[in-house]
Amino acid sequence: MARARFSITQLPGFGLIAIVTFVMLYLPIIILVMFSFNEGVSQSRWEGFSLQWYQAAFNNTQVRDVSLRSLWLAVTASGLATVLATLAALGTTRVGRFPGQTMIYALINQPLMVPEIVTGIALLIFVAAIKVQTGYTGMGYLVAAHTAFCIPFAYLPIRARLETLDHALEAAAADLYASPIQAFRYITLPLMVPGILAGFMLGFVISLDTVVITEFVKSAGQDTLPTYMLGQLRRTVTPEMNAIATLFLALSLVIVTAFFLITRTRGR
Amino acid sequence: MQKEIEITGLNKSFGQGASAFHALSGIDLSIGSGEFFTLLGPSGCGKTTLLRIIAGFEEPSTGVLKINGKEVTGLGPSKRPINTVFQSYALFPHMSVADNIGFGLKMLGKPKSEIKSTVAEMLQLVRMEAMADRLPSEISGGQQQRVALARALAPRPRVLLLDEPLSALDLKLRKEMQSELKRLQAETGITFVFVTHDQEEALTMSDRIAVMSAGEILQLGPPQEIYNAPVNRFVADFIGDTNFLILRVKEIGNGEAVLELPGGRQASARLPESISPPVGSRVTAVIRPEQAEPTAAGQGEMQAVVEAATFFGTDTHLHLLLDDAQGFVLRRQNRPDQPSPAPGTRLGLSFAPGALRVLED
Repeated sequence: MARARFSITQLPGFGLIAIVTFVMLYLPIIILVMFSFNEGVSQSRWEGFSLQWYQAAFNNTQVRDVSLRSLWLAVTASGLATVLATLAALGTTRVGRFPGQTMIYALINQPLMVPEIVTGIALLIFVAAIKVQTGYTGMGYLVAAHTAFCIPFAYLPIRARLETLDHALEAAAADLYASPIQAFRYITLPLMVPGILAGFMLGFVISLDTVVITEFVKSAGQDTLPTYMLGQLRRTVTPEMNAIATLFLALSLVIVTAFFLITRTRGR
Repeated sequence: MQKEIEITGLNKSFGQGASAFHALSGIDLSIGSGEFFTLLGPSGCGKTTLLRIIAGFEEPSTGVLKINGKEVTGLGPSKRPINTVFQSYALFPHMSVADNIGFGLKMLGKPKSEIKSTVAEMLQLVRMEAMADRLPSEISGGQQQRVALARALAPRPRVLLLDEPLSALDLKLRKEMQSELKRLQAETGITFVFVTHDQEEALTMSDRIAVMSAGEILQLGPPQEIYNAPVNRFVADFIGDTNFLILRVKEIGNGEAVLELPGGRQASARLPESISPPVGSRVTAVIRPEQAEPTAAGQGEMQAVVEAATFFGTDTHLHLLLDDAQGFVLRRQNRPDQPSPAPGTRLGLSFAPGALRVLED
């Protein structure tokens, strides 16, 4: 009999580890979603199906306000970050090698390495100083902080996309009488779209999710959904929080699915 | 012949000072209108750099490049009446076959109706009418090759540059595309500048060939001349198979040298104008394997012993050992009534006057 080729799936315990991992990952989420439909207030005892907590969440004007603020902030910051990241990716891949290139990569990706709490405290001190000087307390601080934080997440997929693009395509466009602007408009930009969309969605999810930075930078009345939920959890926990978290999860799933579909059909 | 491309005193180096790499040195070249011109050489010989300079992707370090009598040095690729077929084809992956072919005309600002009719004409020219709406990823490598050709021909350039366009195709498809290219060139009358490292491809397709090595043109001429009268050892070795013999010079005169052959007989051989070896010195001479014929032992100019015979279908290669122990390969066409001689057989070798040539080293 031919010896079977080595496969990690045949090692003893493989199945058990896999099951434990999946349970750890998904069971809490499943329970969270489940109890968002609970009729009672309990997070541990099932009392029957009900949509009352969703109703409560929708009728809660505070929840509506912070959700809209979160979405607005995520779209704005991620949009700005995507534009800047696109320019950075073009500047680092569409030119020849230049001295300091590796350092530029490192600088752009630095926010991924710096602990969020450090960035948060640094921003708190920085923003406080500006507030004192200018008196401005609007959303600008949150937009700027989120944009800066999203740039590396947007930059990575855009740069990856550009690096797989054959430079000969741009040479061919120039050879076929396209000006540099036309070559960008008709060749480079359309081919970058999957990377740009991926960058935007990554930035969007990151901005929507971040607690630490928002917590340190926000002024009064600028709660986002995550900081609002955190604040609520300090008091009593009702399944209303489960309902909000479930909606949040659904939104993330929609975005991730859209991202997957876009990269699969346009990425070729 | 009207000159389409004129290159004078062209040099190209990359880098500065002592570490500079001289990719091209002292290139003088003129290519006629409607010519099928080939730049042939091993990889790294500078042929692609020269092509990129003609296209406008690189600027020469020094020298003048004229196209149709006009100096184009300093003009970018989008300002030259030249199109390129890239080695990787570089088809735009997000555009249909028809949009790829029409791209150049669109950039030139041609009206839509003209673009449409030219694209249809080009699709017909490369026999791809049925594929107009496909994406490049949905057609085969050979079909992509045709689309790349059609795209480069659509704006009716004065010159078409082809950078090893057949290297990615399998043998059968390559042969097919070779005759396809010849047909396209004849039908369009456009000057083709073709880059290849494949000497057979160069010999079968070109009107003229420039053999390049280490950034210089070693020999320039029609395929027959390059094959029959290589100027130096590199060209003789690179183009086709050849036998190199080290022989002693007995006499010099009239552009010819009388050489002492293995076994003591003498034969005269053409001398290149560039060299005049002293009497008594040794020179390198060549004979192509198919330009010598076996005769009975004791006859002919040289004597040899058969070491081995290799059967190749249409012909047999006889590996011989000459009297002074130099090796020699003889190519003989196979005929059913002439079995190849067994190893150990003695035979004579004769060759026509002119088959033996002295080379520059």
